[in-house]
Amino acid sequence: MQMEFAGFPYLSAILLSCLAGLLLILFIPREKQLQIKWVSAIFSGITLLLAIYLFFAYDKSRGGLQFVEKLEWIPYLGIQYLNAADGFNLPNLLLTGIVFFTGVLTMWEMRERVKEFFALYFLLVIGVYGLFMTMDLFFIFVWYDVSLIPMYLLIAVWGTTRKEYAAMKLTLYLLAGSALILPAVLYLVVNSGFNTFDIVALMRPGTFTPSQQKFAFILLYLGFGILAGVWPFHTWSPVGHVAAPHAVSMVHAGVLMKIGAFGVLRVAIFLCPQGWQHWAELMALLAAVGIIYGVLAGLRQTDLKYVIGYSSVSHMGIVGLGLSTLTVDGLNGAVLQMFAHGVMTALFFSSVGYIYDRTHTKAIAELGGLSRIMPVASSYFIVAALASMGVPGLANFWAELLVLISAFRVYPVRGLLAIIALVFSALFMLRVVQQTFYGPNNEKYATLQDVTFGLGMPRMILVAILVLFGLYPSLMLDMIETASIPFINGLP
Amino acid sequence: MMHWMLISPELYYLTAAFWLLVACMTGPPKPKRDYFTALSLSAVGVIISLASVTLQGILFSQTYRIDLFAQVFKVMLASGLFLVVCICTELNGIRERYQRELYLLLFVCTLAMMMLVSSVHLLNIYISLELSSYSLYILVALRKQRDMGLEAGIKYFLIGIFASALMLFGIAMLYGATRVSHIEDLIQVLPGLVDNPAVIIGLLLTLSGFFFKLAVFPFHLWAPDVYQGASNQVTAYIATASKVAAIAILLRLIALTGDGSVYLVHVMVVLSIISMTIGNLAALVEQDLKRLLAHSTIAHAGYVLIGILSMNDAGYSGAVFYALSLLVMKFAAFLVVVQVAGDGRNLRIEQLAGLHRRSPVLALTLMISAFSLAGIPPTIGFTGKFLVFAAAMQRGYFTLVLIAMINVVISLYYYLLVIRAAYLLEPREEPADVRISPALKSLSIAMTCLMVVGGIFPHYLIELARAAVRGLM
Repeated sequence: MQMEFAGFPYLSAILLSCLAGLLLILFIPREKQLQIKWVSAIFSGITLLLAIYLFFAYDKSRGGLQFVEKLEWIPYLGIQYLNAADGFNLPNLLLTGIVFFTGVLTMWEMRERVKEFFALYFLLVIGVYGLFMTMDLFFIFVWYDVSLIPMYLLIAVWGTTRKEYAAMKLTLYLLAGSALILPAVLYLVVNSGFNTFDIVALMRPGTFTPSQQKFAFILLYLGFGILAGVWPFHTWSPVGHVAAPHAVSMVHAGVLMKIGAFGVLRVAIFLCPQGWQHWAELMALLAAVGIIYGVLAGLRQTDLKYVIGYSSVSHMGIVGLGLSTLTVDGLNGAVLQMFAHGVMTALFFSSVGYIYDRTHTKAIAELGGLSRIMPVASSYFIVAALASMGVPGLANFWAELLVLISAFRVYPVRGLLAIIALVFSALFMLRVVQQTFYGPNNEKYATLQDVTFGLGMPRMILVAILVLFGLYPSLMLDMIETASIPFINGLP
Repeated sequence: MMHWMLISPELYYLTAAFWLLVACMTGPPKPKRDYFTALSLSAVGVIISLASVTLQGILFSQTYRIDLFAQVFKVMLASGLFLVVCICTELNGIRERYQRELYLLLFVCTLAMMMLVSSVHLLNIYISLELSSYSLYILVALRKQRDMGLEAGIKYFLIGIFASALMLFGIAMLYGATRVSHIEDLIQVLPGLVDNPAVIIGLLLTLSGFFFKLAVFPFHLWAPDVYQGASNQVTAYIATASKVAAIAILLRLIALTGDGSVYLVHVMVVLSIISMTIGNLAALVEQDLKRLLAHSTIAHAGYVLIGILSMNDAGYSGAVFYALSLLVMKFAAFLVVVQVAGDGRNLRIEQLAGLHRRSPVLALTLMISAFSLAGIPPTIGFTGKFLVFAAAMQRGYFTLVLIAMINVVISLYYYLLVIRAAYLLEPREEPADVRISPALKSLSIAMTCLMVVGGIFPHYLIELARAAVRGLM
């Protein structure tokens, strides 16, 4: 693994611009709502630009860790502030930037306690960015929990359906995940014999015995799996998605669940590859059940956001299935799916957000015939639904294809079941689209305005990204391969 | 002459206590003036204990030891007293007649605890412990709502003397088995005798006096009642300074046993697990904020024990750090309690409703202290937990850490209920805004910053804690 110290600390600059935005928001008087929104948009935009820059400045021919930033934090415990970028986290950083920025734009019409909302929203995103870029186990844990604090308030204060229940459930579930992660992390660090939390140092082959790896892996997998919505620990996720305000749902389903999957990859799989090989069967099983369960549960939902929530469970199952195949294609597909699903879900929640702000309902039966009243707003949702079905031309297609092919090779039965389930998922998405947008008109909504160009901006960006990576998947896959190929080749 | 300089903090607090005693005898209390007198006295006390932090020495026929460990704890105690005096602006919970006695007893109690952390002779420890306990018994009974205060005071007293009796018995057994009562000598003999049943029982019984102070199971029963019965300021003092002193002396005694005996560790593991579990479970249904904090104290006692029972450098320094973090975050929580309950009564959780509008600063302080108490990063409470858990893991106590983490999850539930009350509940009738003076507002902001900054940059505090425990080993 190559190491170098980059010149300008781009990764920290992302965190610092979030922090600067947060502080600036705190000092703007609460009446000046528009100013707060502009500041949020500008600073989230800066982080997005930085993420885009990093994505393209990464030297793919060299691979490995780049843009390394290192600072001794607590030397006595071997804790470092250590950030780096590689093919696994760059897609996720880019995703975070996209969802963060479009989330701010989605909340443009918000009126209630704007200042506190955006301050907490920034805090949430700091945690997410931090987790994706750090290579230190201690900081992974810290960032994980940093994103937890604002989550509770964001859902409980600004949420909608059963918000307090959902917020409490979500927070406790996620903390329960960290209750497994911290002991496992400490266990690994203590047993490594080195006094360090540095992932790069700890992932040297032979650091941990196979039995230690098996033990730690399952704890880490379950701990991060709770956040990734792995069946049967997924129940917090649909409830949380439904209750959260739109931008938070976007971050939540779009990025936060990826943190879980990313944690499984970065911590569990990196540090305990033999544990991974040992438990891969179980991972594949849980993932397959999750895919099927998500689809079946989604078929019966009457609330638009619940539908998306359960489809997320199913799509995160695809990520899990990809991770369980132990192949390059599976890893590529899983990481691409993290990215594609993040953008797609953000588009889903963003478009539902617009519709809900007008109609004040998410009940599918009540909406009927919206495509005639607001054709543009409806089309955004329909694009997301198409992406969710895995229609070629959109980024999700490639991700699902890669995962399913490699899964079918490694676990034929589970792979086949997953493919069948995805056919059903097309059925349920089409049903939702048909009932919501092509049913008989609901008189109540006849006078509603369609989405304007300005307000449609965030959805356009998201659609453009889905199409871009749908037409040029190699843009993303080349990046992921710089990390996945050396990793799989280096396996014992 | 140099001799006496070593104990300048103690001498100072003794003089201050005498002064307050004389003041008590000269006429009725004048709240405003008394407050400022006590405030300046305690502020000077902090400065003096800070100035004497590097002193080293041993006094009074080797029974009194001045080292970095003791001095660091003295600074914490002095700061604890100062902070508690800060929130005594309106003593509505104390009978008017006794408001001066409150300050007197607080100073005496702090003096006693300072003596406690420096004592290295078993009898010396016992006497200091009793002096501080007796001050607290009276302090608890000073409550304006006489029934509550007296009831709590008597409960506290009864359980307290029971623990003292056990402790004396334990000291006697230790002496009987080893023929020494100097801690210096015990260090020599104990590691060899540590598997002798009489020594183990003697040590455990001796420790029970401190378990009582720290509210560790099975000496925890007093905590909720005393917290509820004592006035808010006194409760704040019990929850902060008194806990810090108990942690200090526990560390000193446990460090004696060297690598420790298996029995001792097993007993402490069990006590730790039971303490945190019943503390957290009982807190789940609590409606009174002070009782809730009392149960959370019991749980915290369990977490601290994890650091102590690890019996290594990392565990001891983790426990010192934990003591400091407890001081900060518990005080921050009580600062809010005292300010919101301006009439000096107890505070029910639902009375926090709408606090984010009535006083945004206090609501923020409450939220950060609740997260810190729960141990969520990046707060000082998390760092404390992380240090003790890491130390326990070094000894291979995986299950213990796992149980402790599960407890953290349970505890988050009731801390979230408190935050929910402050941020989400709407009051039925709009209560008056919380009046808070600019000075206390800045104190509240300072505590919030301290909790966050101490969590993000704990390096220097950790180094200080490590330096402090180096002398113990």
